[in-house]
Amino acid sequence: MPSPQLADAVGEHREKHADRVALSCCHRSVTYQQLDDLTRTFADRLRRLPLAPGATVCVPAHKSPETVALLLAVFRQGLVALVPSPDLGAEALARLSRRARASHLLGADEQGSVSAEPVEPDEAEAAGFAVPDPARTRLLLTTSGSTGTPKIVPIPVDGFTAFADWAGHAFHLTGDDVALSYAPLNFDLALLDVWTFLRLGAHVVLVGKEQAADARHLRELVAGRGVSFVQGVPMLHRLLAQDAEATFPAVRQAVFTGEAMPADLLPSVFAAFPEARLHNVFGCTETNDSFIHEVSRTRAGERMPIGRPLPGVRALVVGVDGTPLEGAGGGELLVSTPFQTGGYLERSLNDRVFTEIDGRVYYRTGDLVTRSADGLVHLEGRADWQVKVRGIRTNLQEVEAVIATHPDVAEAVVVALPDDQAGVRLHATVTRRPVAALTGLALRSYAGARLPRHAIPASVHITDQPLPRTSTGKPDRNRIRADRMKETSAA
Amino acid sequence: MTAQDIADEIRAFIAAEFLAGEDASDLTDDYDIVASGVIDSLGLVRLVSHIATAYRVPVDGIDITPDNFRTIAAITDLIGEHSEPVAA
Repeated sequence: MPSPQLADAVGEHREKHADRVALSCCHRSVTYQQLDDLTRTFADRLRRLPLAPGATVCVPAHKSPETVALLLAVFRQGLVALVPSPDLGAEALARLSRRARASHLLGADEQGSVSAEPVEPDEAEAAGFAVPDPARTRLLLTTSGSTGTPKIVPIPVDGFTAFADWAGHAFHLTGDDVALSYAPLNFDLALLDVWTFLRLGAHVVLVGKEQAADARHLRELVAGRGVSFVQGVPMLHRLLAQDAEATFPAVRQAVFTGEAMPADLLPSVFAAFPEARLHNVFGCTETNDSFIHEVSRTRAGERMPIGRPLPGVRALVVGVDGTPLEGAGGGELLVSTPFQTGGYLERSLNDRVFTEIDGRVYYRTGDLVTRSADGLVHLEGRADWQVKVRGIRTNLQEVEAVIATHPDVAEAVVVALPDDQAGVRLHATVTRRPVAALTGLALRSYAGARLPRHAIPASVHITDQPLPRTSTGKPDRNRIRADRMKETSAA
Repeated sequence: MTAQDIADEIRAFIAAEFLAGEDASDLTDDYDIVASGVIDSLGLVRLVSHIATAYRVPVDGIDITPDNFRTIAAITDLIGEHSEPVAA
């Protein structure tokens, strides 16, 4: 699990601790006995559906005990679950289902009834997509992606088992622990804060989408349910810690993940979790977690590293010439983990990002890193022009391309600058055509009509001078970025 | 303070807070500061806070929707309708 053994594990926890809480959400809780009963009921329901052995079914990731039980039933029945975001529109959901050759779209409501809609197969649409192999995977996650249909990532059964073993050991987890599950159920983070905890017989507190920005509710959950493990993006930690009055001494482990933790947030996080060990964890859906860094309360610097590879993980830093660096230096990060997917379902995507080196398959993260002489790794940015503005993946090249279509623009470069609140903000440096009277405000209006709001540059520098160049004649983005940062810090 | 004075002060505030150092000559009374990304949701909060303190506009009484803050003209109107007279 997501594996057949996971449903068995829940059954065993029911034998030993029937009344222990397995799942809770804002207004109710489900014991291991109830979860096991619900799983068996749903498994019976699945048996009555016309499903081929090992078929794939689509289960949108609603954050509810019933959806978790339905997924356990799918694993138990030897089926494969495609788990997309519940926010996906009907058309995108149908397209994704046809690509994965899912035979039914399933759901389970709070009353415990299962809905099953057959999916019209379309071999033309599924062409080029591998058929999920239930011997190797029971769970297909999807990556967000800023445009188009999400990519389908099979999570290997043995990869999950290895991951859950690692996580249990690394965070000293037992059946007495209580996890706050903040991320959506279709994120790889759920492999830790939902599935690993259920495997251990522990309690998972499910935070629904509706409560995700409600600081008071989140604090009540963490304090009131005895949460001992908190994993989430910096925003979650900000919501929990920004009220200096609240402290959560029951939290033993706090994990920062998803994006860079701002240094200004650390003092309040230290105060909010006085008893916790703190880790920065780096990973993605394709490989699951690959790097970890234990954050020191006394020696946390301005920039938090992603740390060092997890046990069994190999990491390469590849320079611009394409060869892996020995020792210190900077380049693109490639990782090979014991947990990683065997490849996207869409075969044509794999050659670009999975590469075999010395007999191991590595995933190109697209992240630029630096590695110090003692092996500590820091993230420096993206190799593929992706940045996150207010948590939304944004492609700098796409923004540049839109700006460059303005008739008065001769040339434009868009760079990402660090920002305490937004994560990064975009800055555009634009050379206007001779005699053009273009201003930054006119360019913003133009961009605003063609780009989503988060992709409009927050600052615009218009010049009549040509842009600085690198030795190869390309606009020197690093210099533009550095100059801009110097200007704004001097101001 | 005339409506024109208020509009000019709001213009100066936006130029200083959100357009540091940029040419603000296009920031006319009807320039759409929301659709162009000049102010985002965090910027809106700063703008509302400025209006509340500088013009004695009771924040509870107004709709903090982007539409009310889309242009300098709209903001000036909103201040004119809501500001409480200063006791002499």
